[in-house]
Amino acid sequence: MSTAIESPGARLVLNIYIGLFVLYLFLPLAVMSAAAFNSFDYPSVTQWRGFTLQWFVALAHDQRLLQGLVNSVLVALGVIAVSIPAGLSGALILTRLGQRSGTVLYSVLVSPVLTPGIILGISSLIFWREFGVPGGLFVAVMAQSSFIASYAMLLFLARLQRQDRTLEEAALDLGASHTLVFRRITLPFLAPTCFTAAVVAFLQSFENYNTTVFAIGGEWTLVTEIASRLRFGLSPVINVVGVIFVVLTLVAAVAYVVLKGKPRR
Amino acid sequence: MGSLARAYGRPLAAAILAIAALWILALILVPLGAMVEQSLWWRESKGDISLQIDRIYNDIATIQLDRASETDPAKQAALDATLEQRQAEATALEAQEKDPPKTYGLANFTRMSGLHLYIFVRTILYALMVTGLAFVVCYPVAYVVALASGPRKAVILMVALIVPYAINELLRVYAWLMILDYRGVINGLLSWFGVVDLDNRGWIPFLENPSAVFLAMIYTYVLFMVFPMVNTLETLDRNQIEAARDLGASTLRIHRRVIIPHAKPGIAVGCIMTFMLSAGSYSVPAIMTRGQGGDWFSQLVYRQFYESNNWNMGSAYAVSLLVVCTTFILIMMRLFGVGLRDIAK
Repeated sequence: MSTAIESPGARLVLNIYIGLFVLYLFLPLAVMSAAAFNSFDYPSVTQWRGFTLQWFVALAHDQRLLQGLVNSVLVALGVIAVSIPAGLSGALILTRLGQRSGTVLYSVLVSPVLTPGIILGISSLIFWREFGVPGGLFVAVMAQSSFIASYAMLLFLARLQRQDRTLEEAALDLGASHTLVFRRITLPFLAPTCFTAAVVAFLQSFENYNTTVFAIGGEWTLVTEIASRLRFGLSPVINVVGVIFVVLTLVAAVAYVVLKGKPRR
Repeated sequence: MGSLARAYGRPLAAAILAIAALWILALILVPLGAMVEQSLWWRESKGDISLQIDRIYNDIATIQLDRASETDPAKQAALDATLEQRQAEATALEAQEKDPPKTYGLANFTRMSGLHLYIFVRTILYALMVTGLAFVVCYPVAYVVALASGPRKAVILMVALIVPYAINELLRVYAWLMILDYRGVINGLLSWFGVVDLDNRGWIPFLENPSAVFLAMIYTYVLFMVFPMVNTLETLDRNQIEAARDLGASTLRIHRRVIIPHAKPGIAVGCIMTFMLSAGSYSVPAIMTRGQGGDWFSQLVYRQFYESNNWNMGSAYAVSLLVVCTTFILIMMRLFGVGLRDIAK
């Protein structure tokens, strides 16, 4: 089926290029992962002192990193709680607005996505200080939500565009109350997107650094804690965190491919 | 708004509107306004006022000395008056020292030192270079992935791109830090071959070179360039390319006249995202240079907030960065003729 557009020579060059690109993407991750199992106490693969799992044990005893993990999860849950309702509301309003008046609102609502992360962190830090709230987990939730809600809104908007609105109207005509229609028709239709948006929000929040580092004040999340350690020197414990991330991502990707591949056959 | 109430009923519509209004006001607009406001005022630094107060007290002491040796009552009275006046000035300044008054103006922007201005300009140039390099690196990748033959190959390629993309930005930077560090992988390999001598600190200081930041930054943000381009190229009808070829167009010409024009919105979005992320990136330069290489602007902003504790100056820096990024977005949208709705996909 594939009619090659390029000459065989060009094809070969392109394939080599892609191979190199994928290598560029994966080699650093592989090196980082390998060093987690080296018993040398500086993360390295060239000075190999034997296989060990001691850094995993060290991570399990590292109170600050564990507390950071807990904080990260708390912040991510907070972000989900704020950004899903916000994103959904924004999307519902936008789908009911005309093209004209919608554009202004739309611009405002997607602007956080196009704003550098540090600026979102700074403006939240300044805003909440007016209310006597210093930088911390709460401000981090607010700062992150400002742009994660936009992502959620875009997901909801895409879903709402495919909605058959006559269904809601028919239910209303048949005498269903507004709340019933919303609960039994609109929400079930949006439920898969709610789930996707929550997953996206969780991941975005969990790995966010540039916004969080300004908003977090004296507290810390897993990511900010890792960053502040890197200033003082490298430790294989960080590599262990890296390995865990890589493995989790790979598992998720494989699961996704398997699940996605199945119904197609 | 009427249609919202008609569809979901008044209470629900009101709730939806309230939530959206809260989001816009409390999370987006008012914080932004607060930052701009913060950048527009300053308080005289305490040090200057303290110095003035000290000077007045010195004056007072001298006058008191004169007063003690003075015998003429008229001159005594005059000196008493000056004393009182000076004392009043001192008291006023002391009140200011405790709570210096706000002064509004643009001084926070104009007071940026030459060095900081240089770093600001350099950061923007670097970010432009990162964007350009990322585009050059990504264009062939996006082309192959988007036009890949067979759905399975496409899925595999997408996964190969998404996996590193999904891994924490910081850990990706860390991987490069490990590779380029003094005792990192490259220096380690070189010492195997006897090129460098690690024991005598004879390593090559890759991290002190700005290109280290470049390398890690492209690595970190490259996929923000790939995905938008893949998205637009996927919709390109391959027959167009074949038709162009049949009509005798060269490869270069096909890219220039068929593929790139089609990919325009994707290119614009990719460039905007990459520029915005790299110009505002704190993580990559802060971690890669560890203060050894040149600073990026974001590091200056961080220090204004958390080391100098000068929030007004820090806000002014942040606003400057925001202005540059917004200008870049507007220019790109103009140049490529894309609207905001094409961007956010």
